[in-house]
Amino acid sequence: MYCVRKVTEDLYWVGANDHRLQLFENIHPLNGVGVSYNSYLLLDEKTVLFDTVDWAVCRQYIDNVKHVLGGRKLDYLVINHLEPDHAASIDEILLRFPETKLISNEKAFMQMRQFGFNIDGRYEEIAEGDTRSFGKHTIAFVYAPMVHWPEAMVSFDVTNGVLFAADAFGSFIALDGVLFADEVDFDRDWIDEARRYLTNIVGKYGPHIQALLKKATPLLPDIKFICPLHGPVWRKDLGYIIEKYDKWSRYEPETDGVLIIYASMYGNTESAAMCLATKLREKGVRDVKVRDVSNTHVSWLISETFKYSHVVLMSVTYNLGIYPLIHNYLMDMKALNLQQRTFAVVQNGTWAPKSGDIIREFLDNELKQITVLNDELTINSSMTPENGIEMDGMADSIIASMKKD
Amino acid sequence: MSFKTTEAHEALRRRVREFAETEIQPLAFLLDKENEFPADAIKKFGEMGLMGIPYPKEYGGAGLDVLSYAIAVEELARVDGGTGVILSAHVSLGTWPIFAYGSEAQKQKYLIPLARGEKIGAFGLTEPGAGSDASGTETTALLDGDHYILNGGKIFITNACKADTYVVFAVTTPDIGTRGISAFIVEKDRDGFSFGDHYDKLGIRSSATAELIFNDVKVPKENLLGREGEGFRIAMATLDGGRIGIASQALGIAQGAYENALEYAKERVQFGKAIAHQQVISFKLADMATKLRAARFLIYSAAELKENHEPYGMESAMAKQSASDVGLEIVNDALQIFGGNGYLKGMEVERAYRDAKICTIYEGTNEIQRIVIASHIIGKAPKEEAGAKKKKAGAVTGERKKLILKDGSPKERVAALAEALKKDGYDFTVGIDINTPIAQAERVVSAGKGIGDKKNMELVKALAIQAGAAVGSSRPVAETLKYLPLNRYVGMSGQKFNGNLYIACGISGAGQHLKGIKNATTIVAVNNNANAPIFKNCDYGIVGDVLEILPLLTAALDNGKPKTPAPPMKKLRRSTPKKLPPVWKQHICNGCGYEYIPDLGDPAGGVPEGVLFESLPEGWTCPECGESKDQFIEL
Repeated sequence: MYCVRKVTEDLYWVGANDHRLQLFENIHPLNGVGVSYNSYLLLDEKTVLFDTVDWAVCRQYIDNVKHVLGGRKLDYLVINHLEPDHAASIDEILLRFPETKLISNEKAFMQMRQFGFNIDGRYEEIAEGDTRSFGKHTIAFVYAPMVHWPEAMVSFDVTNGVLFAADAFGSFIALDGVLFADEVDFDRDWIDEARRYLTNIVGKYGPHIQALLKKATPLLPDIKFICPLHGPVWRKDLGYIIEKYDKWSRYEPETDGVLIIYASMYGNTESAAMCLATKLREKGVRDVKVRDVSNTHVSWLISETFKYSHVVLMSVTYNLGIYPLIHNYLMDMKALNLQQRTFAVVQNGTWAPKSGDIIREFLDNELKQITVLNDELTINSSMTPENGIEMDGMADSIIASMKKD
Repeated sequence: MSFKTTEAHEALRRRVREFAETEIQPLAFLLDKENEFPADAIKKFGEMGLMGIPYPKEYGGAGLDVLSYAIAVEELARVDGGTGVILSAHVSLGTWPIFAYGSEAQKQKYLIPLARGEKIGAFGLTEPGAGSDASGTETTALLDGDHYILNGGKIFITNACKADTYVVFAVTTPDIGTRGISAFIVEKDRDGFSFGDHYDKLGIRSSATAELIFNDVKVPKENLLGREGEGFRIAMATLDGGRIGIASQALGIAQGAYENALEYAKERVQFGKAIAHQQVISFKLADMATKLRAARFLIYSAAELKENHEPYGMESAMAKQSASDVGLEIVNDALQIFGGNGYLKGMEVERAYRDAKICTIYEGTNEIQRIVIASHIIGKAPKEEAGAKKKKAGAVTGERKKLILKDGSPKERVAALAEALKKDGYDFTVGIDINTPIAQAERVVSAGKGIGDKKNMELVKALAIQAGAAVGSSRPVAETLKYLPLNRYVGMSGQKFNGNLYIACGISGAGQHLKGIKNATTIVAVNNNANAPIFKNCDYGIVGDVLEILPLLTAALDNGKPKTPAPPMKKLRRSTPKKLPPVWKQHICNGCGYEYIPDLGDPAGGVPEGVLFESLPEGWTCPECGESKDQFIEL
């Protein structure tokens, strides 16, 4: 049975939702919220399909495409992004619709061959800035290299202002009947997953998102719909999501607040984290978030580090080094190019506390523009009243550094 | 493009020249002879609206371009090199940093009177240990509430004493090199701010040059220029522009000498004709004129680049280096043309000969200019083990005075120590409970194993009472000897001392102990082993037996009255400067996301560390995916 929605005149969402996937990219837990794979079908003088879906939902997808075609042949399949969650069904489409021709760029075709798709004689290559008319609708192709992958591009329907944005402006959470962002309370129910998606998947490529935004600026007044490959379609308040993307890709915090991430084996560091959170709240910091590294997936830690201006890392010393999960977080932060944050570091240890020194050195030397506050706090096994005095000083320094120049 | 100045430029030149020839030239000989500053003439120059040539009219400037400013310096220097540098130091060094980095409030308060010429500006970067290498800066600025407290001194400061505002560079975060330097606007009349004697200089004697001395100078927080830690960058950017001024000064001095020599050569007759018509002299004059023209083009072009906000650091270095090097050749030839007559005091060419030399030295020696130029064309040299790094590894507690008192009897040495501490501002008429928690104590007297028998702890306590301090110890004294409770030992694993005065008695200075006191303002060490590490980590040290020294010190600090309660501890907080973005633009590959980082270079691709992206060789490709250079985005 088909399950589709109309986006606008001549254009239909023919994607599918996936609730059975546990780990997106086999690493980021979906925790039951699921994810959608979006594909769009344009009915013009020619029929044009934009991207495909993950193999897991291909049957549903074929039903959807066939239904919207209503017996017409499929003339073209435009591929904006070749990652298999969108491209795995290319082969199936080519088999089912023998007259379909692929439209994409040179790099994408090279990758299709690498993935083993049989595309010979079935494709038309376009280049940056080319346009193609399919009847009423004219589509312009704009390269968006490294907005995740090098072949990535976006397609813009200059006739009705629909932007097929590839992985940009996407989000976790299955649509479950929703099509438009204005049908949900996005800022309440979706933004955290949208941030987690963007920062963990494309976080490293902030400069490329910036380059794309710059390229798209003159088009902005003409964009009426943003159709991403995951999550809802944007047709209202486009500025909201664009501003978020602008901030994330410039690595600028969304919130002046403190994220406390702690690693505690027996609860003593946890207790210190509670003390610090309490002190910060008492001193008037309005947004303090506390996360236990041992039961919070690193994708959330990354996402929240993108959100907050300040981070306090509190780690036990483990084998004369950093607690492995904190280490994992630091490595991920480096990989994702996270920068321009202010950190404070607290170390705990029973005989030779040194995790803090190593963390500090890592933040100083391996990441970009991370300011580590001078205040040092070492806990020997558990907090003492004297540590409390030092912690007060640390809280004061954090607050002082939150003041704008 | 005609490589010519505009009519407006030449009109300005005529105006400045007329001023220089009528107001400065008649005095120049006397100014030089008497080491005298042309205060009246500078005031008049300001009234003509020429002390703020390149600054916008809304900030009191003349709203003209950088080239106009260069012409003005050139014309003043043409008649008197010293007067040229007064303008250059005022505009480029004393005023520009406020224009470029000042807040709106700072511009309103300081830039406007400077640009109007109502006030004079100066710039204080150089120190005895920080000439070409600013990382040796020792002047400190400690944040204390709403003020920074400046201590230290600057040398060779142009316009010193005559200027009203000074842009001064000081260390706000020690031990991190140039990243810890910040810039401040300091007014002349601040308490504790004084000047050394005027230097008796070889040349440019009409300009005032002296030391700046800062003795606990309170500077309001709002006088921080830019951000904390941004000082070095401000200084370097300022000197980039300052070089245009010095180049113009060198050009002006040489131009004046050349004109004098030319005139003299036309008048001086030997062997029956003017020496100008004798080939050996005519060739000299031809060379001089050629060099002047080349230098002038270098300077004007750098000024144009700056005016158009294009990169000009290399070009201004080339202009400064070249103009001052050929300037020396020109004044030398000019004096040679004058022969014996030129060697006499009172001759303008004799003064020019002396004045020209400074231009190859100040605002970046010409050796430094060549480093700047080379770094633009080759990239930074690979990192070497810097001296600062080695130093850092040496002292766990950071930079310390390490003043070991050796002279005289134990009593005299103790007296000298007490004197030094009082001079540092420690008031020994006040005190705290000796059981104050270490983390809250402003002062701590600490015992190490060197204290010996437990009964000697009484000596430590007695000293603590007279020093107005709490009692602490090293780890073994608390843990093994159990002389004190465990929560009183100081060190990395114990209590951290964050106060001001720490007196270590019989403590050798194990690494973990030193880490616990590295935030102390002053560390005093008393130990009988002269090789104990504590002496490399202290401000004052006495090598001697604690049993002898402690009672002496206790007596020296005893004012015969019970201590009055100490005021709340004023913690001299060491602030953390915000990290700044790198100075180069980011370049990231469109094919894979690889970022080219100049600090790392691309060793596998044959590119050494320090090569800027712009300077990568033709045909260089991304080391990760092979995309060509034009596939990189710039950020």
